[in-house]
Amino acid sequence: MVEVFAVASGKGGTGKTTSTVALGMALADRYDVTVVDADTGMANLLFHAGLSDAETTLHDVLADDAPVEAATYDRFGLTVVPCGTSLDGFRDANPDRLRDVVATLAEETDIILLDSPPALDSRTAVLPIVLADRIVVVLQPTIPAISDGLKVQEYATTYDTDVAGLLFNKVRASESIERVSEKTERYFDGPTLASVPESERAREARRAGRPLLAHAPECEAATAYRAAAEALTVQNGAADDAADRFRSAVIPESL
Amino acid sequence: MKVPRGRLDKSRVVTDPRDTLADVLDRELTGYAVFESQETLLLDGEGRGLITFTDGVPVLVYHTGTDRGGPPALADLAIPGPYHVSIYALDAANLESAHEAADLRVPPGMPAERLGGDPALADSTRRAASDERLRTTDSDESSAEGGATEQSAVEAFLDDAEKIEAIKQQARSEAHERAQQWEF
Repeated sequence: MVEVFAVASGKGGTGKTTSTVALGMALADRYDVTVVDADTGMANLLFHAGLSDAETTLHDVLADDAPVEAATYDRFGLTVVPCGTSLDGFRDANPDRLRDVVATLAEETDIILLDSPPALDSRTAVLPIVLADRIVVVLQPTIPAISDGLKVQEYATTYDTDVAGLLFNKVRASESIERVSEKTERYFDGPTLASVPESERAREARRAGRPLLAHAPECEAATAYRAAAEALTVQNGAADDAADRFRSAVIPESL
Repeated sequence: MKVPRGRLDKSRVVTDPRDTLADVLDRELTGYAVFESQETLLLDGEGRGLITFTDGVPVLVYHTGTDRGGPPALADLAIPGPYHVSIYALDAANLESAHEAADLRVPPGMPAERLGGDPALADSTRRAASDERLRTTDSDESSAEGGATEQSAVEAFLDDAEKIEAIKQQARSEAHERAQQWEF
């Protein structure tokens, strides 16, 4: 049984990687969770998960220089597949192999979270959304972030990927988030999973190279991430067909 | 609104208006920037937004398509790029009379918040603003920390179902086109 989520936002700076790891850790209470840095051009999951000196990364796997198993690390109750940060690694990586990586990982886990690039301007950037069963859209309560989030949703649904929900992040205390999230939901195919407050703890965690839920598990932001995980209804597909499903993931014929 | 024609400083296509705001702030430019969306579809054919700056800090905003000024004009401008942006430099004295139009004014950090979606840039902009600007906009910029005015613009954007449908529609047709191009 496996469900693949792409954690996506049209715009950078929304705290997508922090959110991916936090959701992953919160879901790991109930499921076996694998987190993959699918932002192969601007990887930073490794810095969040204390893996900055990881020797083998997704870049090596995508370059066909290593098997997936060599790039998986057990950290903080998660299986983490970090990506490298070198330009050479990015150049040599074949993004199409991500399909096989996901298919292989799908055999061994309940949930895969793909930390996706904050862009829609290239095949590589969009591929994680195509491969995923559903997306979690990370938004800030600002006009640019919401309009970019809408674009992500439309790309996803065009490519037959559903919307699991919205995660408002970096929400300031004075923002009337209830009204904004209620109005935002009218245009999205999924509910608001949680509103995560802007958090000094999250910045500290990032600087310390530790996930927020390990660094400050009781802080308000961490609590909101746990609520988001709770609100996410996981729809696990059958294990048997998982590999085939992702190896053959294509855009629907109707296009 | 009337602004004297300035000296063309830069003219380019940008995908994110944040970059223009950051650049203008960085160079402490006095003058104005004209934003023209490349997606005329979303702007009924002819929408241009104008933002004036004193020492890199936004002062007025006006939108030609909707003839609105101030914070509502920012909402009119807040659509997905790319934009064609022309930046013009002017002497502060030439902007004085235009800057008297109080109804077109915006709090210093608001364009960075709403167009750029970048609270950190908004904070830097507020730091660069004169004390006088901060005092006079204090009342409507409870947005010093986000705030009521700020959110009402997001809500106004969310109330514009037609514009949002246009954004979605455009994204869907892009996604269709690119699926072929990318050979998915």
